[in-house]
Amino acid sequence: MSRTEKGLVLAIFILWSGLMAGAGYIGRMLISPIELRTERVYGAGNSHALLDEAWDRVENHFIGVVPSDTVREHGAIRGALSTLNDRYTSFTEPQPRAAERDHMRGSFGGIGVNFVRNDAGQIVLTPRQDGPAAKAGVKAGDVLIKIDGVALAEDAPLDDVSRIRGEVGTPVTITVKRGDAMLDFTIVRQVIEVDSVEARLITTTLSNDAQAVIGYIRINSFTERTGKEVRQAVQSLHSQAAQAYLIDLRDNGGGLLSAAVDVASEFLKDGTVVIEKKRNEPDITLSVGERSDRPAIEKPVAVLINGNTASASEIVAAAIQDYERGPLVGEKSFGKGSVQLIFDLQDGSAVRVTTAKWLTPERRELDGIGLTPDVTADGDAEAQLNKAIQTLGEAIAAQPR
Amino acid sequence: MERPATPAPGAVKNVALGMLGMFIGALIFILGITVGVVLSRPGGMLFTGASPFASFGPDFEANAGIGVAAGEQKGQLNYTLINDVIGRLRTQWYGDLPTNAQLTDGAIKGMVNALGDQFTQYVEPRFAKILNDDISGSFEGIGATLKQTSSGGIQIVRTFPGTPAEKGGVLAGDLVEAVNGTNTLGLNTTEVAALVRGPRGTEVKLMLRRADTARPFEVTLMRDRINIPLVTSKMVGDGSVGYVSLFDFSQQAGQQLNQQLSDIMAKNPKALILDLRDNPGGLLSQAQEIGDVFLKQGTFVIERDYKGNKKVTDTSDRGIAQDIPMVVLVNGGSASASEIVAGALQDYGRAKLVGEKTFGKGSVQSPQTLPNGGQLRVTIERWYTPKDRAIHGTGIAPDITVVNSPEDAKAGKDPQLEAAVEYLLTGKVPAPTPIPTVAPTP
Repeated sequence: MSRTEKGLVLAIFILWSGLMAGAGYIGRMLISPIELRTERVYGAGNSHALLDEAWDRVENHFIGVVPSDTVREHGAIRGALSTLNDRYTSFTEPQPRAAERDHMRGSFGGIGVNFVRNDAGQIVLTPRQDGPAAKAGVKAGDVLIKIDGVALAEDAPLDDVSRIRGEVGTPVTITVKRGDAMLDFTIVRQVIEVDSVEARLITTTLSNDAQAVIGYIRINSFTERTGKEVRQAVQSLHSQAAQAYLIDLRDNGGGLLSAAVDVASEFLKDGTVVIEKKRNEPDITLSVGERSDRPAIEKPVAVLINGNTASASEIVAAAIQDYERGPLVGEKSFGKGSVQLIFDLQDGSAVRVTTAKWLTPERRELDGIGLTPDVTADGDAEAQLNKAIQTLGEAIAAQPR
Repeated sequence: MERPATPAPGAVKNVALGMLGMFIGALIFILGITVGVVLSRPGGMLFTGASPFASFGPDFEANAGIGVAAGEQKGQLNYTLINDVIGRLRTQWYGDLPTNAQLTDGAIKGMVNALGDQFTQYVEPRFAKILNDDISGSFEGIGATLKQTSSGGIQIVRTFPGTPAEKGGVLAGDLVEAVNGTNTLGLNTTEVAALVRGPRGTEVKLMLRRADTARPFEVTLMRDRINIPLVTSKMVGDGSVGYVSLFDFSQQAGQQLNQQLSDIMAKNPKALILDLRDNPGGLLSQAQEIGDVFLKQGTFVIERDYKGNKKVTDTSDRGIAQDIPMVVLVNGGSASASEIVAGALQDYGRAKLVGEKTFGKGSVQSPQTLPNGGQLRVTIERWYTPKDRAIHGTGIAPDITVVNSPEDAKAGKDPQLEAAVEYLLTGKVPAPTPIPTVAPTP
């Protein structure tokens, strides 16, 4: 991401349920840095004088080590946010924020290596096929020793290894140990994509002994790439003669709001997907993107949900339910009905702020309530999947031929 | 004038207020907060600068160098980040924005939490006012002790027999989610204790969450004066071992312990047990009096302050039980002055400690009032045992570990006391509790 975007606002988010899952994004709003600095109201009334005085007392009397100004200011932000009593409005330190940004983008600048820590505490690399590291000659089993000349501390947290990541187009030099040899590789970072969707065909036998083919699409998270990934999955499954679609949103804690709208648009013909209710502004209605070439919109659909299905996932599931496009199968969903915006701050940290509630197309509010499945299937994940397949099979059999 | 010893713990506060009286002066305490009787003790909260116990205040303050002009203003930030955040909230936040004063209170709390010291706390003005104004209430409460969990929740550590908390069914481990309708989210133990305490005969409603209940539930308690005997004693082990239990280190502790111990010594016991379990601490002066009872002359406790000063306090060699074999019972509720006494007895090999690791509150807080009426309680001093072992944060490990399980408590059993008697009479150390293992498959 470009540096100029940092510090500006990023995304609207639908939160995630406490799982580190994701959020939703409605788009980007650019707020100029100048505007940022005009908000000085808070400083009036001696608020800062009190903060200074309190800290002064601490610095003069505390027996322990007094932390840096950065730690102090981050603490103050956390404390101020806690007065809102909203679990979804929170502060994120720079490093987790960077990881979250990568996660939401569904890609990052990297060299394409997976790594694990072995029993000896070493970081062992496995290059991804055809990735930049593999092309440069990194081999599976190489032990990572240094990044850009700086040795990894023993027992370095895996987070440290994320220093390999950086802006696309910039080089990183890694030093690895292979056998007794130490080897340096300088590799230019490229875009490494992380898929959020898995798709496959499931064949099932109907009650009339006919075979039916179901397109199964599992969505793990709603990232910037998810809409496109789902579209490609649908095209591919359609070309393989899928007669119905099963969308698996179990354990999907959400993500970007825009991705939820994109995914819903693959299965709904038209209409409202979700309504954003702000405090002092008119509602914002987000509608189905009516592209041509959407082969799934006429086919039977079912959605698998469970208690960890939250946020953006619930937007998709709720729209399918409101339009009676197909049954929700599984367990009651989480019930996360608010939208957060993430604001990146100057030093790379960020605050996530609840800016809206969202309503289903029928104006149902789900916060703290969740979605009730049309077909209940508790417990075992496999049994839930089989129940969903059976339900879809019945829908296929009932279709006019 | 009494010198404050240790104020309290962030972690566990004693709710028991009733005791306050005793404490007056005092400050050693412990645990997070005492509520209960609430309240106060431990935290010492009570004893804060402008508090009713002003007599102690000055001493303390002089100690801390407080009250003096704050010195150089080195605490200034330009607040770019926080201004940015507050600006965003003003334009974007979905709910009602708190007032500037509330945001500032939150920001100060957040800064103070960044120190990573649970005992350095900021008490919002509304609670500081209660602590400062409510003298009678500080003697009365519900009879429970509080602490803050690692995730910030306020938890009941224990309730005392015959008190409103115990009679009302409050259990150790219960999380206090609200007090009289005020959510405890973001509050520290000192602040919650301030909400709980109050004059006898008035009601306090607690919203509690318990592990085995699906939803929080409310209990209504009638505050009362908490009358728990400071010292109790008896003969155990077929009448051959003297047992003395000390509830806390409040004003009369040394004197009462000496009296009851004299009666016990007159019966020629073979050995003694000093029970400091769940004793949250109190006055340093009382700790020293009690140390004097059992120890010959030598270093009793070492204090180091924020200026780097070191102060060594000695015992006086005038005690009535300096040679008799002895065990001190300790557990995770033994804090502050209890840890000083137990640590000294252990360092000199004067007694074996039996039970569980102690709380780890070996520090003194200086309460300072800010211009907005809020109170900043800053850790200014730490204590060390005669062998210079740190008490703070680490606690003191027993020589013989014996754990009392909740099942033991329900069944009225006390394996720790039994182990102490066994050890004193036979020298036998109980086998460690077996850890269940799966038998290897043949």
